[in-house]
Amino acid sequence: MRPFLSLALLVATATQAAPRVPAPAFALAQVQQVPAPGAETSVPPPSTPPQSLPEAPVGPASRPEPLVPTEATEASAPPAGGRPNAAPAQGTDEVPASDPSRVDDTAPVPAPTVETDSAPSTTGMAGQEAPPVSDDAPVLASDLGSDAPRTTDAQQQRLVNGAPLYNPNVSVHIVQKKRFADAGRHELTVYPATVQVNGKYTHHVGTAAHYTYHLQENFALQVMGQYNWHSNESAFNLELIDKVREQAQAASSLLLVWGAHAGVEVTPLYGKFAFLNNSLAQFSVVLSGGAGIGSTRHLIRPAVTNDVDGESFRVPARFGDTGSKFMGSVGGGFRLQFGESYALRVEVRDLIYTARVDRVDGCNLADFEALEAARSTNQDFASLNLSGSCRYEKFDGVDPKTKKNYREDIILGRDLVVEPSSDVLNNVSFYAGFSVLF
Amino acid sequence: MIARTLCVFASLAVSLAAPVAAAQDDENVLDNVVVRNRLYEPGGKLEVSFGVGLPLQTHLTAHYVFNAGVAYNLFDTFAVEARAGYAASRHTGLARSISESFLNREDKRVTDELEDLWQMNLHGVAGVRWAPIYGKLSLLSDLPAHFQAYVWAGGGLASFKRNSVIQCTQVVNRELGICDNRTSVDDRGSATQNFWAHESRVAPVVSAAVGFRFFILDTHGVRLELRDWVFRDNYRVNLVRDAWEEGQATGEPARSPGLTHLVQFDLGYTFSF
Repeated sequence: MRPFLSLALLVATATQAAPRVPAPAFALAQVQQVPAPGAETSVPPPSTPPQSLPEAPVGPASRPEPLVPTEATEASAPPAGGRPNAAPAQGTDEVPASDPSRVDDTAPVPAPTVETDSAPSTTGMAGQEAPPVSDDAPVLASDLGSDAPRTTDAQQQRLVNGAPLYNPNVSVHIVQKKRFADAGRHELTVYPATVQVNGKYTHHVGTAAHYTYHLQENFALQVMGQYNWHSNESAFNLELIDKVREQAQAASSLLLVWGAHAGVEVTPLYGKFAFLNNSLAQFSVVLSGGAGIGSTRHLIRPAVTNDVDGESFRVPARFGDTGSKFMGSVGGGFRLQFGESYALRVEVRDLIYTARVDRVDGCNLADFEALEAARSTNQDFASLNLSGSCRYEKFDGVDPKTKKNYREDIILGRDLVVEPSSDVLNNVSFYAGFSVLF
Repeated sequence: MIARTLCVFASLAVSLAAPVAAAQDDENVLDNVVVRNRLYEPGGKLEVSFGVGLPLQTHLTAHYVFNAGVAYNLFDTFAVEARAGYAASRHTGLARSISESFLNREDKRVTDELEDLWQMNLHGVAGVRWAPIYGKLSLLSDLPAHFQAYVWAGGGLASFKRNSVIQCTQVVNRELGICDNRTSVDDRGSATQNFWAHESRVAPVVSAAVGFRFFILDTHGVRLELRDWVFRDNYRVNLVRDAWEEGQATGEPARSPGLTHLVQFDLGYTFSF
C-alpha cells in the first residue's frame, strides 16, 4: 500500500510543483551534471503525531523505523562552510504542506537555516507567487554575516520529512549527488590480469589496457587493446584427446593472441556504498560495446618429449597462425572511484570473434597434401607449387636445440584443415584493473 | 606526484578502507560515515530464502540447483545460514557424444575414466555470511535501490552419482553406440535402463559465494550470487576395455583426483521476519 500511496503522491506533487518551484540558476548548472534526486524520500513515513516545529539535531540516533527520512540525516549536518549544492529537482520529494503527518519526528532535524532580509536574485523566485507556508517551516534565524546563499523563500525553508530538501545551503543528498564528475575527463585503465572464465576448450590469460574519454557524464568513447600472454587449449580438451581420442573442432578451439577494438561505454547506474560502516566509495555500473580485430592461432602440437640418440629434449608446444578475425566486444562491470583521480574496475567482457579454420600458417589443404608428399620423398619444399600465402619454412628443418624435425608436424597441420570448420567463439574474461583519471 | 601515485595504488591493493578514507580527507563534503543510517538493518532478524542456481559453464555435466535456506542475522553484517536443496543434473550433449563414439573406438583399449563426472543431487550446507558492504544504487536516477554485498562460506554433505561415459558393461550396438535397452535405435528416450557403469556416494561438500542482496520494501529481497560447490573428485584409472565389457571391476582409483567445481549463478528471493 505504501508504494502506491507514494507513487500517487509523487505524480500529484510533481505536476503541482513544477511551475512554482523553479530551481535556482546556480543549482541548475549543477543539476546538468548531477542527475535528479531519487524518489527515496517520496516514500511516505508511517503516521506520526503532528509536530509543529522541528527540534535541533541530536546526532545520529539509533535507526528509526525503516522510513525514508533516515536517509536525509546522512547529510543533514554538513561540515561547516559546506558549499551550496544543487537543489533537488522539482517535485520529487515534495509533500503536501498541509499534511502534518509528513513531518517525521523520529528523524534528526537540522538547525534553522540562514535567513536574510531580501531574497537573492539567484533564487529565481522573483515575480512568482510564493507557495503557502508550511507548518514545518523552521524558525528563522539571523546570520547576516554568512556568505551562503540567502534562503528567504518559504519554499526553501520547508522541511520535508524533517530535512530541508529545498535549502541550497544544506547538502541533503542521498544517491543523487555524484562526488566526482566524469564529463570531459580522460581515463587510462590497465588490467594487469584478464582471465578467461568460460574456457571449455581454450584457456586465455592476458593483460589489457584501455583509454576512455568521457564525452558526457554517462557516455564515453573507448579504445582497448589486449594481449594474451597465455593462450592454449584447456586441460579439459587435452584430457579428451588423451583419454577418449576426441577433441574440439579446430574452429572451436581457436586461440586469441591479441585484440584491439574501439567502442563506447555507458554508465546507466551509479551508487555509493559503505564498507564496514566507516568508509565510503562511489561506484558506477558500466556497460561497454565495441568492435575491432584480433589475431588468432591454433595448437598444432602440444609439448612433447623428443628422444634422440638416448637423449631427451623437451619440445615446447607449437602453434600455427590462423589469421586475423573480426571481433566484437560487449561487457559490463563496476567502477569504484577513489578520490578524483583513481578508480578500480572490475568487469566481465565477452570477446566475440568468428572462427573459420581453412589455413594454418597460410597453408591450405592442397598445400599440406603437397608438403606431405614432398616429405615422404624427401623433396625440397621450395620447388613445390604452393599457394603464395603458405609459409612452408615453418614445416621444414630441424630445431637445433630440441632436435625436433618440423616436417613431422605437417600431418598435424593437415588434420586441422582437412575438414574446414567454422564457429563463433565467445571468449568471456574477467578483468580487474585500475584507472587514472585526468 | 609519482610517489603519491604509487602510494595510492599500493593502498588500493591492500584494502578498500584505507584509500577511501584518504579520499574523504580530500573531499570533505560528506560525513565519514555517510551511509550510517541504513534504511534496512537485518541484524537480529530471521530470514528464509529460496533460490535457483544455473550453471555458468558445462563440460560433461550440467546442474540446476534448487535451494531453500534459513538464516539468522546476528548483526547487520554477519549471519549464519543453513541451506538444503536438490540439484537436478544430467550429462551434457558432449558427454553423450563421447560415450557413443567411444564404444566403437578400437584404438584405445586401456584408458582412464574422465574427470568431473560426479553429479550432485541432495545437499545440505551450513555457513556464514559476511556483508561488509551496504550501498545504494540509483536506478535511472529516480529509484534508489539498497543492497548488501556479501561473501558466503560453509560446508556440508551431499549425495552424488556418477555414470561413466566410457565403461559400458553390456554393449548392445557398438557401431551405433548403444548401451541401453531402447526399443528403437533412433529413440534414446525409449530406454528404461542403461548399462553404463555407475556409482553413488555421500561426500563432504564445501561452498563459497559472493553476491548481492537487494532490499525491496521492508521484508523482501532479491539475491544474486555466484556460488561454487566444491567436492573431491574420485575416478579410476588404467581401465581395461575387455574387463569392463565383461562386467568385471578393473583399474585402480586415481591417486590425485583433484577437486570438482560446480560454479553456479544463483537467483534467489529472501524474506525477513
